[in-house]
Amino acid sequence: MSPPPAYRMPLPIPGFEHIRRAWSDTYETYSARLNPGEYYVTKNDECVYTTLGSCISACIRDKVSGIGGMNHFMLPASSGDGSWKAAGLSSATRYGNFAMEHLINEILKNGGQRQNLEVKLFGGGRIIANMTDVGMRNIAFARDYIQTEGLRVTSEDVGDIFPRMVVYFPASGRVRVKRLRSLHNNTIVEQETQYLHSIEEKPVSGDIELF
Amino acid sequence: MQTSLDELTKDVSGLVTLPDVFVRINRLLEDPDSNISDLAKTVSQDPSFTVRLLRIANSAFYGLSSTVDTVNKAVSIIGTGQIRNLALATSVAHSFAGLPNTLVSMEHFWRHSLYCALLARLLAQRTGGCDADAVFTAALLHDIGELVIFNRLPEQAKEALLMVLDSADELPVHIAEQQVMGFDHSHVGAKLAQQWQLPPMLCECIAHHHDVGAARHFPREVALVHIANILALMAEVHTTDLADVPAIDPHAWTVSGLTAETVVPATLEEVQQEIDDVEHLFFGG
Repeated sequence: MSPPPAYRMPLPIPGFEHIRRAWSDTYETYSARLNPGEYYVTKNDECVYTTLGSCISACIRDKVSGIGGMNHFMLPASSGDGSWKAAGLSSATRYGNFAMEHLINEILKNGGQRQNLEVKLFGGGRIIANMTDVGMRNIAFARDYIQTEGLRVTSEDVGDIFPRMVVYFPASGRVRVKRLRSLHNNTIVEQETQYLHSIEEKPVSGDIELF
Repeated sequence: MQTSLDELTKDVSGLVTLPDVFVRINRLLEDPDSNISDLAKTVSQDPSFTVRLLRIANSAFYGLSSTVDTVNKAVSIIGTGQIRNLALATSVAHSFAGLPNTLVSMEHFWRHSLYCALLARLLAQRTGGCDADAVFTAALLHDIGELVIFNRLPEQAKEALLMVLDSADELPVHIAEQQVMGFDHSHVGAKLAQQWQLPPMLCECIAHHHDVGAARHFPREVALVHIANILALMAEVHTTDLADVPAIDPHAWTVSGLTAETVVPATLEEVQQEIDDVEHLFFGG
């Protein structure tokens, strides 16, 4: 279960030291594991993966240089729900903007070019029946955000009733999406609920610097 | 401190009891002096099983041409051995309601089991050489050890599930369980099946569905349940790509005489058409 001696774990970009990484036998590369609310950007030939229920992940990279990464977030429920689009600056939207800007800015800061960005979207599943479709809300936000930024989604696998595991290789742009069986639903819902509580307790404040 | 396998199952056999009608049918079938009308009488004493039995006998599940309107007729057409299987299959979910858990919904659990059961039956019908209806019941019960683990060892069970989700390498659930607990759901299920004195074929399928090579007396049935289990994972997430699920043991293909090309996607398409009706037949009110 250990990498061949020739493969040393590549250094992370400063600021991402806390992201847990390990050798993956399946993909024969180092892999970074994202929890809800985290993001990761790399210049190395490694993959980043996460599991998604109703949360959403944007996978973004500079398709020329191969610098890229992934985020994992959901919109907190905001008071006066449904108005995020009209109000524009509700706390929910601010949180979503924050997650998207962090990822994009980090890519640009490390040499990515805006005109080369390629975006892929995953998640937003409806894994609990009879609940307001929070997955769809996350999908709608992400699509809207990307369009507003003048970017284009080149591929996506969103919605539906399944949780997913997404493995992304920024260097090549390759993505592997695996639908997860319902055995995992409750565990994923619990993780996402904890995350949701944590972001509702700590609202995002302040402006985000745009490049 | 680690709970031993023996402690775990000893504890449970009091909480989960086999359906009365199954126990009585079992006793009758082992009694050389009993006859078909004794069996029909025993079945009739359980009105809800009688209703289910007649409903199943008249459904597409059997596809009989004549109407089965009496228990006597059902017993003689369906066969005594199969009546025992049905008594177990139609009420086992009820028996396990006494073992609730917070990790997995019972509905999801039994849906996977039923997918596996239907697929195992389809595979058995294709290969011939074994009792397709008995294989159905074996497959329906293959994961019962999971319900024991979820109820009795929820912390460890959760740790195992988190390990699976945390691994980019698609760690199978039973391997994660072994790493956390030192045993997995197939060992627990096998113990329980032994304590219940289930037929030996069922015991072997429950014990070895992740370890086909270990089957002693019923390698063919075990191989079919193993293959059906992986196909059920595919059916659950509506995929027809074998790369999306753990690998099927090549030994299982050899023993069963089946090949991936001949069963995928044909059986998957077939099972999707059956599942809703059969779920209602077996688990519906």
